[in-house]
Amino acid sequence: MLDLLAQTGLNAVYAASYISLIAVGLVLIFGVMGVVNFAHGELYMAGAYAVVLLYTDFQIPFFLAVAVGMMFVGCLGLAMERALFRPLRDNPLGGLVASIGFLMILQSLAVMGFGVRMEHIPPVTQHVIEFSERVRLPLSRLFVIVAAVVLLSALWIFLKKTRFGWALRAAAQDPEAAALQGISINQTARIAMFIGAGLAGIAGAMTAPLVSVNPHMGHSVIVTAFIVIIVGGVGSLEGAIVASVAYAFVHTFVTTFFDGVIADITGLSLMLLVLIVKPTGLFGSADRA
Amino acid sequence: MLLEMKDISVSYGKVSAVRDISISVPEGGIVTIIGGNGAGKTTTLRAMSGMVPLTSGEIHFNGDRVDGLSSDKVVARGIAHVPEGRRIFPDMTVEENLRTGAFLRRDKDAVENVLETVFGRFPRLRERRRQMAKTMSGGEQQMLAIGRALMSAPKLLLMDEPSMGLAPVIVEEIAQIIEEINAQGLSVVLVEQNAELALELADHAYVLETGNMALEGPANELHDNDHVRAAYLGI
Repeated sequence: MLDLLAQTGLNAVYAASYISLIAVGLVLIFGVMGVVNFAHGELYMAGAYAVVLLYTDFQIPFFLAVAVGMMFVGCLGLAMERALFRPLRDNPLGGLVASIGFLMILQSLAVMGFGVRMEHIPPVTQHVIEFSERVRLPLSRLFVIVAAVVLLSALWIFLKKTRFGWALRAAAQDPEAAALQGISINQTARIAMFIGAGLAGIAGAMTAPLVSVNPHMGHSVIVTAFIVIIVGGVGSLEGAIVASVAYAFVHTFVTTFFDGVIADITGLSLMLLVLIVKPTGLFGSADRA
Repeated sequence: MLLEMKDISVSYGKVSAVRDISISVPEGGIVTIIGGNGAGKTTTLRAMSGMVPLTSGEIHFNGDRVDGLSSDKVVARGIAHVPEGRRIFPDMTVEENLRTGAFLRRDKDAVENVLETVFGRFPRLRERRRQMAKTMSGGEQQMLAIGRALMSAPKLLLMDEPSMGLAPVIVEEIAQIIEEINAQGLSVVLVEQNAELALELADHAYVLETGNMALEGPANELHDNDHVRAAYLGI
């Protein structure tokens, strides 16, 4: 029993890692630009397909493929900012609708380029860390956990310690007052979009060998990410991380001990409960919600 | 003239907010814009900072045309704006708020120097430098907003209703600070509902009424003007 708990705990940590990468990016984009990016799940999908193309088809080393994939999806984010969100800046609903359109374009491009089949990606490593006979952590899952911890720590330091990090936080709290300090709103939007999209991209790229890669894989991920950021408090990066961990643990444990559908129901019920008890989310504040 | 606003008009959609306003700010002067609610004072100030587009007119600052520039570019030219309602960054510390004001300055030593100057002028801010800005009182927040604006080492300081919502003793303190920073050579444009205070501080005053320039003149003359006394000073 103890083994099962430990194993499920490890699975939950892995799930928390990639969920928080996606959710934090979504929160960052919403916080700085005021846009709900519905295409975020497709940015994750694009990261996974970058690995399919570069690693599986072109046989480029996995981590190089991941790095290129992250940059590629980050640049996709820059393109979205320039082409969709900047012209619609004064129209947050417009940004949301445009992102839904872009989601469909990305999905269709994936279908056209790769077909609707599931991609088979050769495992990066077969190595498994064995804590005991029944508690095992595949090395490729550990890679995802390490990537999440390193990247989210780096983001934290960037936001707290650097001039552009302050600019991003200032723009998220009051864009107009930030502009009055000489902070360019176009520039903060570009940075937020590049980082947010890049984090979704690397989540997709790192997990590509571990999940089923298909053109519609973004769907389940975006639903989870929305639950997480609502529970955490829309606009709160800390909230997104805490809620990702909490959600991943609840979902993984319920899936293991009951089943996946009940886990989904439990996740959504928890979100409703949080909305009833604290409508701003666990870490949200009323004026930003 | 440091700043020259020539016949500017601003509209929000089809609604005209201010019409054909001309304002001149001399180097080292304090100019005030007074008027009632909705007279267009804040709009005029926002136009100076590039926060609202002009429908007509021109703004020249330090010899250059600055209308049409976005707010962040206007700051780079040397105009700092203390917005209405203070608009400090609530979830950042006092020190982070101040350093954000120096966003455009790349010279680290200069930033440390100006931070020391601001802390010297506002000892309360030094005491609370690690505190979240939202936890401070209204007067402290106003001082933080002024300090933040000073961090960019501006040539011209625009202040929108710095006395709003503050206790009389704090208003007195703010007035003193405005006089001090002006005495050190910084030009000021002051928008105020508190006309008594504004006319006491300023050299030159403009009176806006429903988007039009009603009166202008030296502040002491306007202080004795019958219309101003009746409408804005309640005498």
